[in-house]
Amino acid sequence: MAEPKEPQQPPSPPPGPALPAAGPDDVSLLIDDRPVVVRKGTTVLQAAEQAGLLVPHYCYHAGLSIAGNCRMCLVEIEKAPKLQIGCATAAAQGMVVRTQTARVKSTREAIMEFLLINHPLDCPICDQAGECRLQQYEAAYGAGRSRFNEEKVHFPKRYDIGRNVVFDAERCIKCTRCVRFCDEVSKTHELALFDRGDHAIIGTFPGRPLDNPYSGNTVDICPVGALTWKPFRFRARVWFLRDVPSACAGCARGCSVNLATYNNRIHRITPRQNMQVNRFWICDAGRESHAPLSERPRLAGPRALAACKGGPQQEAAWEEALDRAAELLRETAKAHGSGALAGIVSARLSVEDLHLARKALSEAAGIPRLGVPPHVEGEDDHLLIRRDRTPNAKGAALAGPGAPHAGRVKEILEDVAAGRVRALVVVGEDPLGDGLIDAAALGRLDALIVIDWWKSPTAEAAHVALPSCGYGECEGVLVNFEGRAQRMRAALRPWAEAEPTWRILRELGRRFGLAGEYPTASAVFDEVAATVPAFAGLSHRALGGLGAVVKEA
Amino acid sequence: MPYEPLLLRNAGKPGSETIDAYLASGGYQGLRRVLKESTPEKMVEEVKASGLRGRGGAGFATGVKWGFLPKTRDKPRYLCINADESEPGTFKDRLLIEKDPHLVLEGIILSAYAIECRTAFFYIRGEFHQGCRVFQRAVDEAYAKGFLGKNILGSGYDLDLVLYRGAGAYICGEETALLESLEGKRGLPRIKPPFPAIVGLYGCPTIINNVETLANVTLIAERGAAWYATIGRPPKNTGPKLYCLSGHVKRPGVYEAPLGVPLMELIEERAGGLLRPDRPLKAVVPGGSSMRILPASKCDVLMDFDSLVAAGSMLGSAAVIVMDAGTCMVWALLSLARFYAHESCGQCTPCREGTGWFVKILERLEAGQGRPEDVDLLTDVANKVEGNTICPFGEAIAWPVQSYVKTFREEYEEHVRRKGCPLAATATVS
Repeated sequence: MAEPKEPQQPPSPPPGPALPAAGPDDVSLLIDDRPVVVRKGTTVLQAAEQAGLLVPHYCYHAGLSIAGNCRMCLVEIEKAPKLQIGCATAAAQGMVVRTQTARVKSTREAIMEFLLINHPLDCPICDQAGECRLQQYEAAYGAGRSRFNEEKVHFPKRYDIGRNVVFDAERCIKCTRCVRFCDEVSKTHELALFDRGDHAIIGTFPGRPLDNPYSGNTVDICPVGALTWKPFRFRARVWFLRDVPSACAGCARGCSVNLATYNNRIHRITPRQNMQVNRFWICDAGRESHAPLSERPRLAGPRALAACKGGPQQEAAWEEALDRAAELLRETAKAHGSGALAGIVSARLSVEDLHLARKALSEAAGIPRLGVPPHVEGEDDHLLIRRDRTPNAKGAALAGPGAPHAGRVKEILEDVAAGRVRALVVVGEDPLGDGLIDAAALGRLDALIVIDWWKSPTAEAAHVALPSCGYGECEGVLVNFEGRAQRMRAALRPWAEAEPTWRILRELGRRFGLAGEYPTASAVFDEVAATVPAFAGLSHRALGGLGAVVKEA
Repeated sequence: MPYEPLLLRNAGKPGSETIDAYLASGGYQGLRRVLKESTPEKMVEEVKASGLRGRGGAGFATGVKWGFLPKTRDKPRYLCINADESEPGTFKDRLLIEKDPHLVLEGIILSAYAIECRTAFFYIRGEFHQGCRVFQRAVDEAYAKGFLGKNILGSGYDLDLVLYRGAGAYICGEETALLESLEGKRGLPRIKPPFPAIVGLYGCPTIINNVETLANVTLIAERGAAWYATIGRPPKNTGPKLYCLSGHVKRPGVYEAPLGVPLMELIEERAGGLLRPDRPLKAVVPGGSSMRILPASKCDVLMDFDSLVAAGSMLGSAAVIVMDAGTCMVWALLSLARFYAHESCGQCTPCREGTGWFVKILERLEAGQGRPEDVDLLTDVANKVEGNTICPFGEAIAWPVQSYVKTFREEYEEHVRRKGCPLAATATVS
């Protein structure tokens, strides 16, 4: 085999009149006759992207190292005898790049033909159909026919390569994005390319399946249908899905995500690029965080104990249940003083929920103590996962009843057990299920008002249980551990009679004289922005898709 | 004028692989002289002046290649010796390694000195069991006699040499795949640039030279660039060359001659002529299996870098594969295509998919299931592989496919028409 020639001296480019001026750290070049100025070190592919030109590619991914193996991004560069891959070629001063010449087009056509000769073309049964780069690029750049009349290479199909990932080696185009992800991002090194030639196959090492906290990202970045996410397989055709941009509520990172919905169900959660938060990735737990919505029993409508005590919970109309809750709180305060009232409020709730918890419970109803339980699990990892599993601890500290504090919660629950607290309002928490208090101690309460989205053990023990929206059913803002406020968006209609927590609190507060319209979550947030300095100048609109950093003193 | 062998001057003599025999024949004198009288810069100039071009395949000027190293010294520099000789038809480096390892080793030390390298890596094809044993013994002897290690011959120059065995992949002869393999990874070619002279082994500036190239450096150090530059066809094709003759000749083997020896002289005189008198010459691959094939009518050519380019092929590794009239050109190409399909690393799309496709088309042609459009399809697929791959492996299969089909098109069409191989019954190779 011929050894490659060493590089020639770089040709000195004639400064064409069309080239724009470039600063000392910039280079200017022409791509398809468009002048582009980019930072030094930018690749031709990225420069084209900045100029609004797509150079098609499979193996290139902005979050991974350059592999240069798919050859789809070959472009013509003046003075280079061969076509060059845009993903690995640095943009240089005076470079003249062409991405639409006959030579480039025929090469793309050839690459598409090569990629498809051994591909099963099983789109009708492939989950990737509709978001498959083979389909997209064949339509855009392919010849629409094949001259391959041979038996295809056969590989294992429906292979469980990991806990939640299924591998179809026949669909694989060996772009090695998944391999590079496991090497460079998750740093778990489960995947590698094995064997050679057209028998090359992605695989795992004996006894080491693809099983890491970030394995689902390999499915996202797989440009074809080779890696599929087990829980999503055959669930929905992607063209029926609607991606709703939101933020993950699984931990204090608050990754930007898309909630893919169809038929009022979240079918999958995928990362949404946000370089300030999660770059291109999310963890598997976040990806599966919609599962409880369908797995846990929901509170369909408000429920209240029939009699004052003892009887089973019964369905109640909203007004009736709210009246009952207010009445219970009032009676308790009257009998034992307001010191006998307390609340447990969750840092998983949004800024809007927490703001109204403070307004309605502390200010209007005069509940003197609100505790916010921390939820801590494991350790912060090297990538995204935070040990603080509350997505809005910072929001609770800035706008709500205070930062999570185990001691305060413990004190409150001890006072419940000791009979000093006689009425407890629990919002979005489950102290009974979490083992913070036992059923007997909880049973001593004269009033247990629970606002939650599911029939938690605590909600089941409540005198009044009020159904709130689950994840993905309401709007609201979360502030992550770095102080970035992001919007959660409503992707689903609320389940049955569920209402947003802030609205339930508003209604309860009104029974204690809470003023203010609070027509929407956005309006609640506007009040937060007007009254809490950290949020000054922010609004739902201002947060946009990527969020904004709150001003911390 | 009889040619006095230079590269093979010791090979074949009893005990030629020992250091004692090498020293007795005047070995390591060039190294002594250079370490005493010369400097690395002068040594580089000497090699540039000699006109030595790399013997691995591409024929790039060795001194110029060395000159690509960055001038800065903030990182170590490495010399890697490419002894992964795997090109079908090529067996010259193996002979040097097994029969005259110290000629190679002296060249390695000289070259390492020239490029100011302190650690050199000898990457040897894993299947060369005998070569590994012989070369390791030579390295041990050189350490014992002070030609390797600290303060070589009292010069203050240190050099360590590591012998590393490949694991059996043709692709590891591609210089960047070799580096990956040496680093303990899968042997996949790297994207270039950056070139190894800038970012090579372990991210450091690295020169990769072929075994025979380095043996030539020994000759240059012994007798000077001016003498060396008179051998062969100066100014651009200088020095002696090892030619590997194989195929339908009476005496296949490695023969030494100056660059520019006539191809027919190698076949007729050195290799004893064609194997069977009743079968005339049909074609020759002059430079190893990756190079374009020459029909008999074009074999009146000189064996040097530039003459063969002018004739439409390349000198490559100077492996001369001779095919007589009994050779089926579809079968010959199928045999090659199977090799390349097996050895394609699988990394980049055109080579991974194209190599297997060639095999499938050629198998059908040979089995009598060819279609008229297959002939053009072979060429077109080869055209789409060529120039679009990460490494030169793409050309290594595209060039044979293009040239076999173009040169012997009629034979391919006949396979389609007659539904099978017209030569199947008489083929001498199987």
